[in-house]
Amino acid sequence: MPSVLAYHRPHSLEEASSLLADPHRRAIGGGTVAVPEARRPDDHGSEVVDLQGLGLDRVEVDGDGLRIGAMVRLGELLRDERVPELLRDLARRELPSALRNQATVGGTVALGESASVLLAGLLVHDAELALHPDETVALGALARPLEHRIVTAVSIAAGGLGAIVATGRTPADEPIVAAVARATDTGIRLALTGVAPVPVLIDPADPTAGLTPPADFRGSPEYRLHLAATLAARVLAQVTS
Amino acid sequence: MTVEFTLNDEPLAVECEPHETLLGVLRRLGMISVRYGSDTGETGASAVLVDGRLVNTDCMLAAQAGGHDVVTVEHLNRAELHPIQAAFMATGAMQSGYSTPATILGTWALLQEDPDPSEEAIRDMLSGILDRETAYVKPVEAVRRAAAVMRGEGTDPFGPLVVPPMTDGRDPVEVDPDDPPPAASPAVPRLVPSRDVPDMAVVGKPEVKVDAIRLVKGNPAFTDDFHERGQLVAKVLRSPHAHARILDIDDRAARELPGVHAVLHYKNTPRIKYASGGQSWPNPHPYDQVSFDTKVRHVGDRVAAVAADTGEIAEEALRLIDVTYEVLPAVYDELEAMAEAAPVIHDEDDTTDIHDRERNIVHHIEAERGNVAAALAGADHVFEQTFRVHQVQQVPIENHISVAWLDSDERMVVRTATQVPFHTRRMLAPLIGMDIKDVRVIKPRIGGGFGAKQEMLIEDIVAHLALATRRPVKLELTREEEFMSSRTRHPQTLTYTTGVNADGTLVAQQLRLIGNTGPYGTHAYTVQTVSGLRGLTSYNCPNKRFDCDVVYTNIPVPGAYRGYGAPQAEYALEAHMEDIANELGLDPIEFKRKNWVKVGSELDIAPHLGERSVEEGELDEYPKVMSSGIEECVAQGQRATAWHRRLDPGWTTPPDRPHVRRGLGFAFCMHGTAIPFLDMGGCSIKINDDGSFNMLIGATDLGTGADTVIGQIAAEVLGVPLDDIKVYSSDTDVTPFDTGAYASSTTYISGTAAKLAAEKVRERIKERAARLLGVDEPCTIELRDRRAWAADGTSVSLEEIALHSLHTEDQEQIMGTASYVSPECPPPFAAQFAEVEVDVETGQVTVVKLVMAVDCGVAINPVTASGQVEGGMIQALGYAHCEEFAFDEGGRMLNARLGPYKIYRADEMPETEVFLIQTMEDSGPFGAKAVAEIPKDGVAPAVRNAILHATGARMRDLPFTPERVWRALQDQPR
Repeated sequence: MPSVLAYHRPHSLEEASSLLADPHRRAIGGGTVAVPEARRPDDHGSEVVDLQGLGLDRVEVDGDGLRIGAMVRLGELLRDERVPELLRDLARRELPSALRNQATVGGTVALGESASVLLAGLLVHDAELALHPDETVALGALARPLEHRIVTAVSIAAGGLGAIVATGRTPADEPIVAAVARATDTGIRLALTGVAPVPVLIDPADPTAGLTPPADFRGSPEYRLHLAATLAARVLAQVTS
Repeated sequence: MTVEFTLNDEPLAVECEPHETLLGVLRRLGMISVRYGSDTGETGASAVLVDGRLVNTDCMLAAQAGGHDVVTVEHLNRAELHPIQAAFMATGAMQSGYSTPATILGTWALLQEDPDPSEEAIRDMLSGILDRETAYVKPVEAVRRAAAVMRGEGTDPFGPLVVPPMTDGRDPVEVDPDDPPPAASPAVPRLVPSRDVPDMAVVGKPEVKVDAIRLVKGNPAFTDDFHERGQLVAKVLRSPHAHARILDIDDRAARELPGVHAVLHYKNTPRIKYASGGQSWPNPHPYDQVSFDTKVRHVGDRVAAVAADTGEIAEEALRLIDVTYEVLPAVYDELEAMAEAAPVIHDEDDTTDIHDRERNIVHHIEAERGNVAAALAGADHVFEQTFRVHQVQQVPIENHISVAWLDSDERMVVRTATQVPFHTRRMLAPLIGMDIKDVRVIKPRIGGGFGAKQEMLIEDIVAHLALATRRPVKLELTREEEFMSSRTRHPQTLTYTTGVNADGTLVAQQLRLIGNTGPYGTHAYTVQTVSGLRGLTSYNCPNKRFDCDVVYTNIPVPGAYRGYGAPQAEYALEAHMEDIANELGLDPIEFKRKNWVKVGSELDIAPHLGERSVEEGELDEYPKVMSSGIEECVAQGQRATAWHRRLDPGWTTPPDRPHVRRGLGFAFCMHGTAIPFLDMGGCSIKINDDGSFNMLIGATDLGTGADTVIGQIAAEVLGVPLDDIKVYSSDTDVTPFDTGAYASSTTYISGTAAKLAAEKVRERIKERAARLLGVDEPCTIELRDRRAWAADGTSVSLEEIALHSLHTEDQEQIMGTASYVSPECPPPFAAQFAEVEVDVETGQVTVVKLVMAVDCGVAINPVTASGQVEGGMIQALGYAHCEEFAFDEGGRMLNARLGPYKIYRADEMPETEVFLIQTMEDSGPFGAKAVAEIPKDGVAPAVRNAILHATGARMRDLPFTPERVWRALQDQPR
């Protein structure tokens, strides 16, 4: 059985939403992860719903912050000078050049990978997700998975001083643990990657409280906890200096 | 479905299936510059421009491109080269060139956005296109030069920077800290000339690669770029178990699936034993493989193969094959595999010549000179250390791929990405029940090999399927299969025991080695003997002993990987020697220098190890080192790394970065050049009407530039520019025999064959020239500038000579054929330096700079030679720093994907510098020795010794990943 049975490109959110009501259909943003997964042979086959026709690929100024369409590619985020410096840097770190031109902000949110530095950056920028049809949820409060709800945009607060400190095998490696922070007049947000199933906002005063990091060949739980404490201290020093 | 998009300015409506990738559709449309590297976008080989942005087409459905503008490199192709293509050619920016079209497109997009990009922007663009060959330095240079040309600025010709020697070629010098190193782009090789080397017209010049046009334009070049009519697609069912017996296979459902043409497995394929390593006849025993076995011995091992109309149908058929397994206990560690209770991996009775079957010991190897036990007993100091080296992979960006078909005469033709076409022909024939004369192996361009393709790995599968279906059959491995089922570097446990006298002189050195060859022997014997050879030859010592067991386990199969046992041994040796120096309070370089081999030193254990080894007493004389530029290498490397900073606490402990320690490390490197009395290459040259030449060689250019270098050698002899030598390699029906691309042999062996063949042609040309010029003694004629010159200054063109010989009088085809095998194995030498920063709180090591100064004799082409060093160093850095196979408890690889398996990207590279130190090696063609493998030898120990210098931590196991280093720092006495 062919792995991908049909391709849909809806032109309205309503159409997309009704297509995705069928559990055999999956949404694709850039498709860098979903397309290889969908093409893997299995017993059922699936249909893909490409969200590129919905007009969700714009970055707009929204009060003091920005509203980033779910289909904005990470490469465009990097090129857009209205986007806070920290997020542009994290968009660059998230993926190498060509993949970055394909992967989308919405796809990054939907995947929710533990090691995503961009997600950590969105967390410290107080990101809120706009879900179709009319729901807003804080990124940090999102219960996984997104199921078949469509993320239409990510709204972020701008301003403040941001920084990232990370440890990886090589300078551009996906970090084993990264600490991302942003200091504003109202306080400090601190997020960590690599210490939980998804990037998490943590208490700057007690960065390792309650963490039970996953293990893989790049880092044991013990080492990840050590990195969490070390990198959190460093990034806090950077944003408060 | 119909997808409408614009391809290279042409609006198209293409019929395709929903599951098809844009990569598949573009290749179907003839855009074969777009190439497969994986299914998940991380290699970048498949990248094109969509709406002006570089994107990967392997992880993108064709349907997603609907309504967009797609541009491939074919868009740039005109009779004249585009300035970007010209810049990539001029700078030697491509080796295999497999992903060069993608890189050129990325450059084009970048320069449209920013005509004067920073190095950071260039490297960021390149970050999406992995390159396993160039270390990115020459591509960065190419982008800069292309940008300058497109801005209307001029550029200087690209070539080496000549650097004056610092030594007399023999003795060490004290390097003056105020003497600045030569300044030039890192892409430029620093060439230190030797007075012993005469100036030549073509040899030693930065000639452009002879295959450059087809590579920069993305013209058909690689195995998959050619399509046979009616070609089927093969897929392989692979074992989910590390060790299991196959009790039964039911293939009925698979065979009945429409579009399936053959299903092969143990029940319908002859059981013929073989060893898959591409080596000279007779291949080292045991023959422990068959095409399809009743047992699987690692996750990813072959179970069955299917040929079908499409890849999707073949995949579906694989899922319909019902296999009944009896799962057996498995063992992965080489020490555990030798234990009494370990499962026996080869319990079948038709595999013979296993040293100790019950303990999984496939080979036991011993060699000794002098009396090590007695010498250790009498030594002033004895040091013993054990090191553990891990499993890594070659990672060619082009995965293994083969196509087989029966030609009009019903002979078997296999076009395949191989380093060993002639070995493959000989090894394949008996497996498919055909005579060697009825098998033809064609090697087109190869997208990297690094030893992985020194195997008869999948050719038997496509040939069996072609016989079963009477149709052409293609098999291309996926990236995951490439990791799990091709070849890797042997893990080893190495214990050095060394006796040293109070004055620092070595008196005894022993290497005890346990090598892990996975479930099959392939290169087990020879890789481990090279470990012994390289691990015990670098230093003079009257008593040496090598004691080795090679062990079967259930890990993916190790085989040949560039360096071939040397990187493992030289890592342990250079770490061990460093630690001895520190224990004795000696300067490490001084201690090593006191003991390392010099001109005139005997290569004393060499004849006792290897495929043609002899016993002590059988030799009248041991081979000796005849050329060595090591002192010049050390001096240039010390100056280039500001080695004096080692003693400056303000540098090693930067006050403004309290968690950082800096260090500098060194490793002495010595390799071999070809296997003496074994490696052989042939060459045939003929003249054409216009005075140009066709050259046929069996040598296997796998991206290294071998065709170019061998062409330069012939051009030098024949007095013509390189462009007048049309090189063709390699095709077992057409070209002379060659053992293949391995053992650092091609320039030395095949190059000498070309030189000898060209000299024969030159003699015929001289005779006819003498006749045309009325000269009595042909030996007084000289060839240069496409003419034959008499001593009196009269001359005749090669074209006139060719026309005369082919058409006018006493007609003959002026041609020459020669082959060469060497009794020598002249070692290249190198000094490898590394500068690191260690984060002592996290254990993260950042490699800041790598400098390698190499004595490879005369570099026939300094640009391609330096490219070999740059690329080799970065592969070696991966070995040292970040690459490793990780497994779950069942032996399944956890990181069979690039990213989790980490190879260096363009935007995170250390600075690199390459020095080519000329020496004149009289046994080599125009003075050449090898260069391809020595860059793999020194990086791991140099980085390790730099970490030691920075922190005092003595790393034992590779690679130096953050947690491993952090734990070593925790364990350190404070």
